[in-house]
Amino acid sequence: MSSMTRSFFKTYFLWELLQGLRLTFRNLWVRKFTVAYPEEKTPQSPRFRGLHALRRYANGEERCIACKLCEAVCPALAITIESATGPDGTRRTSRYDIDLFKCIYCGFCEEACPVDAIVETRIHEYHMERRGENIMSKDKLLAVGDRYEAMIAADKAADARYR
Amino acid sequence: MSDDSINLEINGQPATARKGQMLIEVTDNVGTYVPRFCYHKKLTVAANCRMCLVEVDRAPKPLPACATPVTEGMKVYTRSPKAIAAQRATMEFLLINHPLDCPICDQGGECELQDLAMGFGRDVSRFTERKRVVKDKNLGPLVSTDMTRCIHCTRCVRFGQEIAGIQELGTTGRGEHMEIGTYIERSVDHELSGNIIDLCPVGALNNKPYRYSARAWEMTQHAMVSPHDCAGSNMHLHVLRGTVRRVVPRERESINETWLADRDRFSYQGLYAEDRLQRPMIRQGDRWRESSWEQALEYAATQLAATLGNDGDHLGVVASPTATLEEHFLLSRLARHLGSHNIDHRLRVRDTRDQQNDPVFPSLGVTIAGIDTLQALFVVGSRLRHEAPIIAHRVRKAAMAGGRVSFLSAGRDEYLFPVSAYLDAAGVDLLDGLAGVLVAAAEAKGAPLPEHLAAACSGVIPADEHRRVAADLLDAEHAAVMLGLIAVRHPRYADLRALAAGVAEVTGASFGQLSDGPNSAGACLAGTLPHRLAGGVAVERPGRGLIEMFEAPRKAYLLHAIEPDADLACASLAQRALESADFNIALTAWDTPALRATCNVLLPISNFAETSGTFVNAAGDWQSFAGATRPAGENRPGWKVLRVLGNLLELPDCDYASSEEVREHLRTVLSTDGLYSGYRGRFAAARDAVDVSLAELDVPMYQLDAVLRRAFALQQTRTARTTAVESTAAARIEAVNA
Amino acid sequence: MEALLNALPGWTLLPETVQTVGVIVAQIVPILIALTLCVAYLTYAERKVIGYIQNRIGPNRVGYKGLLQPFADVLKLMLKEVVVPTNSNRFLFVIAPLLAIIPAFATWAVIPFTDSFVLADINAGLLYVLALTSVGVYGVILAGWASNSKYAFLGAMRSAAQIVAYEIAMGFALVGVLMAAGSLNLSEIVRAQAGGTLMSWFWLPLLPLFVVYFISGIAETNRAPFDVAEGESEIVAGFHVEYSGMAFAVFFLAEYANMILISALTALFFLGGWLSPFAGLPVLGDTFLAESGFFWFALKTALFLFCFLWFRATFPRYRYDQIMRLGWKVFIPVTIIWIFVLGGMVYLEIGPWAR
Repeated sequence: MSSMTRSFFKTYFLWELLQGLRLTFRNLWVRKFTVAYPEEKTPQSPRFRGLHALRRYANGEERCIACKLCEAVCPALAITIESATGPDGTRRTSRYDIDLFKCIYCGFCEEACPVDAIVETRIHEYHMERRGENIMSKDKLLAVGDRYEAMIAADKAADARYR
Repeated sequence: MSDDSINLEINGQPATARKGQMLIEVTDNVGTYVPRFCYHKKLTVAANCRMCLVEVDRAPKPLPACATPVTEGMKVYTRSPKAIAAQRATMEFLLINHPLDCPICDQGGECELQDLAMGFGRDVSRFTERKRVVKDKNLGPLVSTDMTRCIHCTRCVRFGQEIAGIQELGTTGRGEHMEIGTYIERSVDHELSGNIIDLCPVGALNNKPYRYSARAWEMTQHAMVSPHDCAGSNMHLHVLRGTVRRVVPRERESINETWLADRDRFSYQGLYAEDRLQRPMIRQGDRWRESSWEQALEYAATQLAATLGNDGDHLGVVASPTATLEEHFLLSRLARHLGSHNIDHRLRVRDTRDQQNDPVFPSLGVTIAGIDTLQALFVVGSRLRHEAPIIAHRVRKAAMAGGRVSFLSAGRDEYLFPVSAYLDAAGVDLLDGLAGVLVAAAEAKGAPLPEHLAAACSGVIPADEHRRVAADLLDAEHAAVMLGLIAVRHPRYADLRALAAGVAEVTGASFGQLSDGPNSAGACLAGTLPHRLAGGVAVERPGRGLIEMFEAPRKAYLLHAIEPDADLACASLAQRALESADFNIALTAWDTPALRATCNVLLPISNFAETSGTFVNAAGDWQSFAGATRPAGENRPGWKVLRVLGNLLELPDCDYASSEEVREHLRTVLSTDGLYSGYRGRFAAARDAVDVSLAELDVPMYQLDAVLRRAFALQQTRTARTTAVESTAAARIEAVNA
Repeated sequence: MEALLNALPGWTLLPETVQTVGVIVAQIVPILIALTLCVAYLTYAERKVIGYIQNRIGPNRVGYKGLLQPFADVLKLMLKEVVVPTNSNRFLFVIAPLLAIIPAFATWAVIPFTDSFVLADINAGLLYVLALTSVGVYGVILAGWASNSKYAFLGAMRSAAQIVAYEIAMGFALVGVLMAAGSLNLSEIVRAQAGGTLMSWFWLPLLPLFVVYFISGIAETNRAPFDVAEGESEIVAGFHVEYSGMAFAVFFLAEYANMILISALTALFFLGGWLSPFAGLPVLGDTFLAESGFFWFALKTALFLFCFLWFRATFPRYRYDQIMRLGWKVFIPVTIIWIFVLGGMVYLEIGPWAR
């Protein structure tokens, strides 16, 4: 059979369409691997890049020194920092805002930070209810950091070998 | 090919150089970058950083490019393995004691060490020992220090020795114990000392007010012209999110070279003072209410027209020399349109008797760069370092090059160069000294005294010092006589000017004067004068000057960028006149009690960084600039406010879309031939005694205009504190005497 | 049904016209309710089937295995606001969904569910079906026009052109059925297929027409892969882009009712309606499998409905010009040729015409 006749029959007997139908029909019976999310969760890496946090040293001092490297490296321009001389004469942020709507969670800020101050935690279940809540201010970021410091420190320790 | 040119080869490329040039100048000229820390083109060669080591053919070791004179046939390799090895080794040594605190260092991002470490450094340090720590020094309110970061390039030390003329910083100790410091605890006070911030290649010396407030890479840079003195220094404003964070010099060889006075560098802080006027205000009875621009302008225009009625002579207009050329031109046009010649910008000039002989604009008589090459200079009635630091620096350059500089002034200022003669004036009586020099000059030259000055010189017997000054001026090929601001503000300004011009005439020197504020020249060109229209066209019947219009109170005043209580020589007189007036409009950036007490409408206008415009400096250079930041609050650029006011008052041809259009309009008005800038008067001078103190004539350096008075860091300087003390002490003595 | 009503006290006392209307209403209401329920669960089935084909599990949150999902959807749609665009034609905007749903339901009047149960056993049934399915497109066109939206208007135009193209092919396919059955009465068409196993149904002699009819049916209902009238990726949601809440729900209802209708009609015309494929097989005796009845009709309809969903999950959307080409240049010639072939078969008395 010449290829032309073959293609004629293939066209008029809808051969390729039938092949497609066979494929989808077979998949109808394939085992499903959907994770029923709130009840079941997939495992997370310690490198997971979720909600941001600002960390403190063990003595309660803010780590952030307002070097603005994260602001400079941020590809989405999500970070806004204003720096000033702190009460103890050191360089400190007077404003540290992350716009979660702009953020693309690339983790560059974390990479850029010379003092491990800004980190992305594993927290990914959060929401906003009002306009403006997308802006993570310094206070909010520090609060996240304070609350999850144990987890953050453990994650950093787990990943330290590869950095 | 002249005899002093030399051929050499740089990285295989042929190059020519002048005999005596250093290798690094030649490589810079041909565009081959050699890393350096201690070398700076305006400073002498120290060759102590060793970063510029390059390989020279047939030299056994790498040679420092900054300290190696070029020779014929030299073959230089800046990127050969040997040169790079030397540079890398130097960098490694430099980094041994340099802290790794770039993230908190204000120099980070614009640091020469950082950049060169990227190019010539190792990525991992081999140094595991302890790093050296150096205690920070307190250098005053302008310069912050982190001396641990210092790499001992000694640029700051050489700046003090060679540019400022006073060695405020020096090195102590040797080797690892070497430190830069002030020897004994004191601040750096020279009026150019802010330049060590720019000179420091690392973050050891930094800008204190700017400290930790921004990063070099996030600011935008806007060209600007100095708003405080008649030199018109070029500078860059660095702006972050609409606020000026710092000011750095913009290189302009013919004016400020690479330097910038502290006054220009730190005055920006005044822009953000708390008493900035935010919105237009209208007075209703004793209450003030905020209003919209439309309302305020409408109200101002209708009330002004109603107050004046048909007689424009009831209006007095006062503008500050800090306003731009465009604003002055619009004001001048507006006043003349309303029928008033009562317009003036000479806020501190007391003597206008000889005003019809004024040059079209007050000029230095020489270019600013031309001061360098003066062989003799006679400065009359000036605190030069306070009045125009950049010009003072030029004068110092001339003196250091062998120029004979002499002063005639009340009170002795410290000039950091050899002064040929310092003629002390008794009190502020400058006339005697000037007459003495004139007589001495005439005698020395054997020429008669100019007729109109004979009366003033009668009975004057010149002293040795007078003769020395006269001889200096006569001997020099390039000589100049210059009136300072104390002379300009002097109650016998006309006599002083006539005498000084006479000295210049007899000795063949050029004659010029300093002027108040950044734009006195522009104001004169634009016609903000009672006796002149734009371009120096004389008015048939001159209006009232500043003092006259307050002596004979007008019904309405228009104040432009003025603080009547602080900017005027006749403050109390002005206060009374303003209070008695029916309707006063103030275009101002500031909301001050004095304005509230006397005005009916306050229209907020932009300050220097916020508006576009043009300043004309004392050498006659027109320098235009664009606005760098958004004006605070509802403030609008002055020229826009005046344009709308002009429209409302039916000023014809007032539909400018930009400040450039205003400027171009002014250019068409200016005729090219009438623009003489020299004094040609024949004023019959007299030698009367005056009853005014130096404290009255002198305006402290950091009190000159509204922005400076609000510049916090400058007010903290020793200069500001001591001048403040001086003037209050003098005022007290005055009070006791009276 | 009539017997039930007769049992009501006082029913027989009512005037005869009222009784007749009452009987008809009493028949319509269960059909409508059943149909609406079918639509509801068809949406559920669609999401489940497509989900499974895409290796997902579909809705599983509302009720056991998500079985109450349709009711949740309905509740949501009912609670939403119906937004009428400012510059729309308000009257047409409101009437358009009704024009879409009325024919979709009204056609069920002539569908024979079993040998005996049909609401209106009229002789021109086939004609009635053709007429009413054609009216449905007016709902779409009016919705697109009344919305005063470019996307909606584009969707409506596409829909109109598409339906014109496929109506013809569909009509020709039905000519074949007509030739085979010799009647316009839907019950008669089914009965003409009786008397044998599934080989005696029309699908075999009319095979090309069967295929053309079903595919045209998919196109008529604007379902994937012929859903250019909605075309989410191109024109947002096509003709109903401006509709929300219940107005949108009515369009939704109409679309799914039409799907069921086309499936039912295909079952009737080509797969012998309520006839059992195993009639007369001795093995089965007289179990329900061998017996013709509503069960078989429902099963056949369900088979076609599954195909609707299956195709949607399998095929990407046709390009618009390809749809037109398929309709005009392939389906219409194929049907015309097969009608000629049928003529030959009638003349030679083979297939259904073998006496």
